[in-house]
Amino acid sequence: MSDGHSKKTFVVTRFDPDQDAAPRKQSYEVPVHPDWKVLDALNFIKDEVDATLSHRWSCRMAVCGSCGMMVNGEPRLTCKEPLSQYGDTVVVAPLANFPVIRDLVIDADGFMEKLTSVKPWIIRAKELAVEEGPMRQSPAELAEFKQFSMCINCMLCYSACPVVANEPEFLGPAAIALGHRYSLDSRDEGAAERNEVFRGEGTVFSCSFANECTEVCPKHVDPAAAVNQAKLNAVIDWASSLVLPRGGDE
Amino acid sequence: MKHPLLKLEPLIWLLFGQGILLGTILLTPWVLIVGLAIPLGIVPTDALSYERAIMLGSHIVGRLVLLGLIVLPLWKGVHHMRHTFIDFGGAERDALVAPLLYLLATIGSVLALVAVVRL
Amino acid sequence: MSRNAHPHAMAPSKPGRTRTAPPQLPDQFPFGGRYLAYTLFDLTGILYVVLGLLALCAVWSLGSGEADWNAVLERNRNLFSVGFHGIALVGLIFVGIRFFGFFPKAQPPHVGPLKPPPKPVILVGLYALWIGVTVCLSIVLAGGVF
Repeated sequence: MSDGHSKKTFVVTRFDPDQDAAPRKQSYEVPVHPDWKVLDALNFIKDEVDATLSHRWSCRMAVCGSCGMMVNGEPRLTCKEPLSQYGDTVVVAPLANFPVIRDLVIDADGFMEKLTSVKPWIIRAKELAVEEGPMRQSPAELAEFKQFSMCINCMLCYSACPVVANEPEFLGPAAIALGHRYSLDSRDEGAAERNEVFRGEGTVFSCSFANECTEVCPKHVDPAAAVNQAKLNAVIDWASSLVLPRGGDE
Repeated sequence: MKHPLLKLEPLIWLLFGQGILLGTILLTPWVLIVGLAIPLGIVPTDALSYERAIMLGSHIVGRLVLLGLIVLPLWKGVHHMRHTFIDFGGAERDALVAPLLYLLATIGSVLALVAVVRL
Repeated sequence: MSRNAHPHAMAPSKPGRTRTAPPQLPDQFPFGGRYLAYTLFDLTGILYVVLGLLALCAVWSLGSGEADWNAVLERNRNLFSVGFHGIALVGLIFVGIRFFGFFPKAQPPHVGPLKPPPKPVILVGLYALWIGVTVCLSIVLAGGVF
């Protein structure tokens, strides 16, 4: 185990709500292997050094979205980031802009509520009968939304977004991108319903196009593109509602 | 907190978007010539003598261009000022600050219309 | 180094079972790393309001008579005004480049039956419009035509 290992210092945010008035930093010296990712070091700390450290992780291959944390000030998937790109000291903190439950574990319930509110599922006025066969979708129709469907709900974009930091009601990049994904889906008939949400309290128009969400997204979803496309669609929806009012809105 | 403005946000965003797009495009030659080239003597002052300026400004195209380069930047500007205010922790006061900023842009737009009409 | 974000940032509608530590702003916000360009972009709002109001004053003066218009031209000659307009030009170019870079990806794949042109075409079109209008309007203002 000691072959090929060098030492790095990890400065990790710790917070025990039962004991700590506020989060504090704790340093650990870790013998790291050249192939390790940040997550390997955190798991080493928990397994070998300090079993009280709490952090989320699962797939180890950047598809589940569980292991998002701030690494040297940037939101990253810790299973994806090689330690070799960092210097002798690596600072690990919980995701920015989220309440912190304990150590590196943030409260994701706020995100789940925002995501649910955009109705991220196919909405049909009337479901097709089974006898009518499957719905067909061409490759061109798929291409219109496929990029936005790649979101793994890792919430790195929420940590990077200056609007999320300052406007609690804002729906945020991933929720809007996923809502927009469904509105673009040729099988969906729920765009009008989603536009009501997009123009509501969580308004897409709060986005100031910082583009930070796109910069940090590990799956190249480009949520900034989705949010700003959603703004234009919301404007068109608003303008057409002036001319052809729908019944029972707001 | 934002309720009164929510209904108008699509319109404000449209004005803001055109403010960046057309406002930037129209302001660039204005700043280049009126703000820099004439004062620096690169272009002679009589290029925009009173007679010529009135002739250009009172043409329908001139009036529209002048209206555009006043109104559109105002809406882009106040919307970005609002965002800046929020970014620096002003979200709790947005309900007060945002209407004031948009009122400034509205007053400026009305004055701009009067200004180009009276040329 | 950490600073508090909005106290209710990403807060769920109901509090959790244990007390949470308050959300923290990203370390680099607002002037570090990539955030600097974003913050400067938003700060150009002040520049645009000033430019719009200066243009309003100029047009109002034009409508007020020759003496008022000549006073505007005279005021523009002072060093402070020239310096401000120099900074303004840099600001306009910065805004244009940043915004035009983002514009193509902000177009939805279709609006009803209408599809936008390919992204490179949109980008070239925007710059062509910007440069074309700047050249044409500059020639007009400088006395080249009319």
